[in-house]
Amino acid sequence: MEVVFAGFGGQGVLTAGLILAEMALEDGKNVTWMPAYGPTMRGGKAYSVVKYADGMIGGPDMEELDILVAMNEPSLEYAAYLKDGGVIIVNTNNVSEDAKIDSRFEVVRVPCLTLAQKASNPKAANIVAIGAMIKKCGLFPEERAKEVLRQIFVNKGKEKYTAMNEAAFMEGYQAV
Amino acid sequence: MKKMWKGNHAIAEAAMRAGCEFYAGYPITPQTEVGEYLSSRMPELGRRFLQAENEMSAIYMIFGAYACGMRSMTSSSGPGFSLKQEGIAYLCANNFPSVLVNVQRWGPGLGTLDSSQTDYLRDTRGGGNGDYRVIVYAPNSIQETVDLMYNAFDVAEKYRNPVEILSEAALGQMMEPVEFPPFKERKEDLGWTFDGTDRPHGRIDNPGKPGALRAKVEAIMANEQRWENYMVEDADYVFVAFGLPSRTSRNAVDLLREQGIKAGLIRPITVWPFPFDAFKEIPGTVKGIISVESTDAGQLVEDVALATKRMCRGNVPVYGLFSGQKIPKTKEIVTYVNGILSGENKEVF
Amino acid sequence: MAVVKTTPTMVSIPNHFCPGCGHGILNRLIAEVIQEKGYEKKTILTLGVGCSCNMNGSWNGDKIQTAHGRAASTATGVKVARPDLLSIAYQGDGDAYVIGLAETLNAAYRSEPITVFVINNNNFAMTGGQMSWTTMPGQVTTTSAHGRDTSLTGMPIRVPEIAATFPDVAYVARGSVHSAKEINRLKGYVRNAIEAQLNGEGYALVEVLCQCPTNWGMSVEKSIQWMEKEVVPYYELGELKGRRK
Repeated sequence: MEVVFAGFGGQGVLTAGLILAEMALEDGKNVTWMPAYGPTMRGGKAYSVVKYADGMIGGPDMEELDILVAMNEPSLEYAAYLKDGGVIIVNTNNVSEDAKIDSRFEVVRVPCLTLAQKASNPKAANIVAIGAMIKKCGLFPEERAKEVLRQIFVNKGKEKYTAMNEAAFMEGYQAV
Repeated sequence: MKKMWKGNHAIAEAAMRAGCEFYAGYPITPQTEVGEYLSSRMPELGRRFLQAENEMSAIYMIFGAYACGMRSMTSSSGPGFSLKQEGIAYLCANNFPSVLVNVQRWGPGLGTLDSSQTDYLRDTRGGGNGDYRVIVYAPNSIQETVDLMYNAFDVAEKYRNPVEILSEAALGQMMEPVEFPPFKERKEDLGWTFDGTDRPHGRIDNPGKPGALRAKVEAIMANEQRWENYMVEDADYVFVAFGLPSRTSRNAVDLLREQGIKAGLIRPITVWPFPFDAFKEIPGTVKGIISVESTDAGQLVEDVALATKRMCRGNVPVYGLFSGQKIPKTKEIVTYVNGILSGENKEVF
Repeated sequence: MAVVKTTPTMVSIPNHFCPGCGHGILNRLIAEVIQEKGYEKKTILTLGVGCSCNMNGSWNGDKIQTAHGRAASTATGVKVARPDLLSIAYQGDGDAYVIGLAETLNAAYRSEPITVFVINNNNFAMTGGQMSWTTMPGQVTTTSAHGRDTSLTGMPIRVPEIAATFPDVAYVARGSVHSAKEINRLKGYVRNAIEAQLNGEGYALVEVLCQCPTNWGMSVEKSIQWMEKEVVPYYELGELKGRRK
């Protein structure tokens, strides 16, 4: 499985990748997480690549994506790496309706920011996107995903945010 | 249980567990997190972190501390590592151990921050003035980085020679699940170190000992070659790749075998000493050896050609896939082999 | 009453310096103070590159030969590893003030707990007398063949004066070996610089003006006269930063 989270710096695309990586690790997979760094970060563009598999994982950078999470419109350029029939989760708050997307891909439109605000957690648009992605692609069972999400924030000493984050996750999960 | 760790943090933690007491360095992307991590972690354990004014000063701080036997290390990337070369030559001239980390970025001069392997020739040949070699490990995962670092000080002290971990920008920046070994320390006196008493220190550059350098090189070549072979025994085409390109090459082996092309992979874990012995497994029926590397000009391919000449019968063609400022993708590698089959890609040697 | 002086154990006679050179005097003073303190087997001397290298053959104590200009960094590493030992850097002006200016000033700036001795003989002596940053205006060297033109090359550098401005530095002095009186004073500076380290006070630097008859192309007597007339007035002698009482 190869997933890219892409967006502006500040949209939490690195953290989103890490959350997915932790879920895959919990599932007993081999995992890599690779951030955009250095020159690729210029202009506020950020992304993280997560790969997981039962066997050995090759290069950590983008090769053939199964899923692209596009938190903003410039991120759609990474669709060039997407497999035929691959899934794009589009954050409609930052991607216009008429943005061109190849019909070879399956597009899931989610207003991530709106739903995050609905969960009283406006910083968690990334977690909304994860919820939507996990449901749409059937990556992990709902309860397992929520448990890992909880654990990540507990480990960071941010226990008080667990309920808010879970609410954001469920907004995304139920939106598809 | 394994936890997700960033490569640069993991190598730093592994150094701590291997008994590193002193780190001196100067920030440079993409390895700055090594020093950042140690600046926080070392004082917690009563060890010493020192931000030096430049790369040269840092290597001579290590030189001074390891002269006295303290497990010490420095880290840098391409341009900074160039500045350290004189100090590395001094370490070798004095027969001093040390552990050096190079998280490579691409290119000469300032270069770029892209993941690369463009320091290969410099680092495997010695890099500074004079007649010496550095033992160079080239891990291809973060767990392997940790495991190699854990033994690096022991090997450096055994041979009284610097040991380098040759990492890559992407390997420093990415995260993978890692399990760490327990803390260890070397308590015994190494016997030769500076302690104020002016006991013998055994400098290698003593003109009274001709052949000492060669003897050391031969001992290391005989004992320390490390590699991993994958499906080499019946291969028609054998990739040779280290670090991250070795991972996409291995995936390419699987893909090519699905297509009915018998591919294999030799993965050097030590790039000096180069694992000549790994080539023994190549069958006499082999049709080509392919160096897969993140360089533009082609560097590893020279060692591959040397090893092929020495270990393979006949004049086996040696090809080179040079991916420049990025890790070669699995598909590119497959396409390259198809290009050899169609006669489009020509041998380098 | 006659005073019987014995040679300190850490210096050999003869040494490997040229006839008339002042290095040997500083060697001896350092050795005397180390012996006074009982640190003969607890001292590591880091030698710079230049005439200091000659001490590889005459200094009877632990010594590390480091690279040109990097003695302060090396001595810093030694002190990190062995805070219980005396870590001394011994360098010339070309080593410490020209190629190694960065390392010298940065070690001073951080106040690394080391002791640095710098022989200032106004030229690069080991390589046969080239211009140094300490070469006097008009002084003839092999790379200032018409006399040093300070309008092109700058006025002679005064590093101790710079080091003395760093707030954490423990001790800075400039002495000379051109007269018996100054040699006696210098011994006090050497003692202070070593005691500063032993007491954990921080970085100490002693610059020592020194004749170089070979490369100056003068007799010893002429050399001393030239120092008194040209060098000492520019490079003022004395303590530039005294130890905190």
